[in-house]
Amino acid sequence: MSNIEVTITVNGTKHRLMVGPKERLLDTLRERLHLTGTKEGCGVGECGACTVILDGEAVHSCLILTAQADGSEVITVEGLEKEGQLHPLQEAFIKHHAVQCGFCTPGMLMSAKALIDKNPNPTREEIKTAIEGNLCRCTGYEQIIEAIESATRALESR
Amino acid sequence: MIDYEFFKAPSLKEALEFLGSHEGVKAIAGGTDLLVDIRKENARAKGFKYLLDISGLKELKFIEERNDCVAIGALSTHTMLVESPVINKHFPLLASAAKTIGSTQIRNRGTVGGNINNASPAADLLPPLIALKAHVKLRTLNGERKLPLDEFLAGPYRTNRQSDEIMTEVCVPLLGEGYFTNFQKIGRRKAMNIARLNLAVVLGIKDDTVFDPRIVPGAATAYPIRFGKTEEAISGKRIGDIDPAEIGERASEEMISATGVRWSTPYKRIALASLVKRALETIFREAKANE
Repeated sequence: MSNIEVTITVNGTKHRLMVGPKERLLDTLRERLHLTGTKEGCGVGECGACTVILDGEAVHSCLILTAQADGSEVITVEGLEKEGQLHPLQEAFIKHHAVQCGFCTPGMLMSAKALIDKNPNPTREEIKTAIEGNLCRCTGYEQIIEAIESATRALESR
Repeated sequence: MIDYEFFKAPSLKEALEFLGSHEGVKAIAGGTDLLVDIRKENARAKGFKYLLDISGLKELKFIEERNDCVAIGALSTHTMLVESPVINKHFPLLASAAKTIGSTQIRNRGTVGGNINNASPAADLLPPLIALKAHVKLRTLNGERKLPLDEFLAGPYRTNRQSDEIMTEVCVPLLGEGYFTNFQKIGRRKAMNIARLNLAVVLGIKDDTVFDPRIVPGAATAYPIRFGKTEEAISGKRIGDIDPAEIGERASEEMISATGVRWSTPYKRIALASLVKRALETIFREAKANE
């Protein structure tokens, strides 16, 4: 099995890497780039814990080979904070107690960010659809939906 | 262990050249089915030496209205179907079906061509596309052929694609005047839902009379097919004379005559009858409202 050279931009930084043919984007982020905010839950696209934004769209990093992502731009949860300032979504998650064990949180945040990047004024239904692929076993989702709603208001008033 | 060499196709031509000159090639598009199968070492994903990545072929990512059909590029994502004004205008059942697939993440990545070529008995796009009499286009280095989708399918997880072919597009003929469509699905929960059963119904109504009915359940038979006997039972009938519940029963009988009695039959017999009833009632209600 020969390795493949890929160039991917992660949170604004360009990386040139040699990756194996079976290496998933999730593995590259966590094991090579040590961006361990992105979690592995089920590994088969059911739980959403590994959600990242790839070229503007929320995707499962466990269901993409890094070799497929050559030339792409990836944003992970580590890319939300800017110069020590949390993203309004992160602030809202804290304020609304939308985090309990925290394992689903990075994926939830990325699904929410992909949504509001495209649709700054989502309805409650649109928020639910955006996070339908993200499992949370602690919060019951209500606080997460409230957090996303309040973040959209905060972003609007900026 | 599944092992393979990876090749990313920079263009359709190079993808076809690679397919034409190598044995044991598996193509990967969105990967939402294939990478799960590879990870689980599923027998379906074994026996290939090369993984040909076609996910970057932008030329196969389009939805366009033509004179008599809507052409959907094979690498169009489910999200594209859901968001496309052309699809929502002409084939709302296709947008409804796409909306029920997986989750936002899966719909952003999974493709129309992948859904067809994976040929799962529970594929959500197959029943509506068969009911819409879609054709698929397959390209090789030397040529192209076009065949009806129901002839392209060969069995559960099996198609008539030749090893040197790539599906480039799906052509869905425009429906004429007087057609109604409906998609139904049931699964264990709303999101991340693999259909326990789904159903596409397309039919015309003129002067209160049904013409050209097409009834295609999914996950009911080994792979989705038209239920000809059930269609016959409503073809040419006045809608006032059709009992949707009875037609539902008839569809269940047609399913059992195709599959025999299986472990899931006690459930599916009742569930399919309800889906057919629901779809027909919805369509008849729309037809009345349209009068």
